[in-house]
Amino acid sequence: MSMLEELNALGVNTEEGLRRLNGNASFYERMLGKFPDMLKSSAVSPDFDGTDYAGTLDAAHAVKGVAGNLSITPIYEAYSEIVRLLREAKPEEARGVLEKVMPVQAAIISCIEAHW
Amino acid sequence: MGKEKTILIVDDIEINRLLLAEVFSDDCKILEAADGKQAIDIINSDIEISAVLLDLVMPEVSGIGVLQEMNRTGKIRRIPVLLITAAESDEQLLEGYNLGAVDVVRKPFMTHFLKCRVNNMIDLYRHRNELEEIVDQQVARLNELNRSLVEKLATIIEFRDCESGEHVKRICGLTRLLLTELSDACPEYRLPAEEIENVARASVLHDIGKISISDIILNKPGRLTKEEFEIMKQHTLKGCEILESMSNLLEPAIYRYSYDICRHHHERWDGGGYPDGLRGDEISIWAQAVSVADVYDALTSVRVYKGAYSRETALKMIANGECGAFNPKVLEAFQKIAERL
Repeated sequence: MSMLEELNALGVNTEEGLRRLNGNASFYERMLGKFPDMLKSSAVSPDFDGTDYAGTLDAAHAVKGVAGNLSITPIYEAYSEIVRLLREAKPEEARGVLEKVMPVQAAIISCIEAHW
Repeated sequence: MGKEKTILIVDDIEINRLLLAEVFSDDCKILEAADGKQAIDIINSDIEISAVLLDLVMPEVSGIGVLQEMNRTGKIRRIPVLLITAAESDEQLLEGYNLGAVDVVRKPFMTHFLKCRVNNMIDLYRHRNELEEIVDQQVARLNELNRSLVEKLATIIEFRDCESGEHVKRICGLTRLLLTELSDACPEYRLPAEEIENVARASVLHDIGKISISDIILNKPGRLTKEEFEIMKQHTLKGCEILESMSNLLEPAIYRYSYDICRHHHERWDGGGYPDGLRGDEISIWAQAVSVADVYDALTSVRVYKGAYSRETALKMIANGECGAFNPKVLEAFQKIAERL
């Protein structure tokens, strides 16, 4: 299976992602290839400080933006929710969403890294 | 053909910059900034930026900081800024709009629509900037025409007075020098440089009323009779009538100054002048300045009724009160600039 097919199986809306980039598959794959590094540099850890989480909010916001543009739907949806909850001062609920998405996120990253 | 547009992409996340660069790289030159400070350096350089695609949330200097700097330098009026955002708070977006951002593009975006929106905004700003340049050029040309009209008018009047047109030019220069010196020496008479320039330009019309005086009196070689002098004195009021009739042709400041100078350049510090018999600082400082400049130039020039005095003699005659009564501070300033004449 190609990377895009595998990612599709993991919930990434590759069809939409390609449409966003005018069908430029090689560029789309190249951008997906950069996503794991981006995720590491904007790491959002489930053990973030429950009282001082401004940095976590910024990082989650950054992940949300990139995941959205690349149509990595499970991560985009989860981080959209995390950002919303943190803005509403509900860090524990945000932590719950983050913990839930971590395995999916890990699977997507593994898939991309396996192909790059 | 080179790329005519330059787009500055400002985002701290590399993937976001690459995505945006890919959208525009076919027909635009792309510049990238990874934070607000880099963006400000590029915007403040000589590079002609067509549009800025700006992320709001960045470390160090945020997108709001970039907008604030662009407001400070005035660049926000010439460069369209589009906020590229993953739905920041409404307050942040409102602040961005209030600081001059023209549009908000939300992530995730469709590249085709993004390209259309950015290109539309670039075209709109390009047209607006071109129109503003045309208006600026027209205003400059109108001002130049206006200046030329005033100078030519003054020269024509002077030809009737058997002068070459040099008199009004010298009055203009002397007035400028004198008011500048007075501004430096006397705080109570301080005028901004721009106003001094307006007064100097207006001073050339001080004798516009002479056009209504008959040649027989105007160019009489000998001393004027009492009746003739009374007619001659009318040139101050006649001048004001002429200026009133052409007020719509003159810049407001030039009209205001020229009217006052025309009416009061024959007033005297001791109250013995005409037409209103003003005394001391009842006479505006610009009318006082033109008055001294006019007397000095008359003394040092050949006239139908007299030869030219030397600079030293003219200064002595003015200082001794042989040619009128002047404000001592104006005379002191005039003596200072006379050393440079």
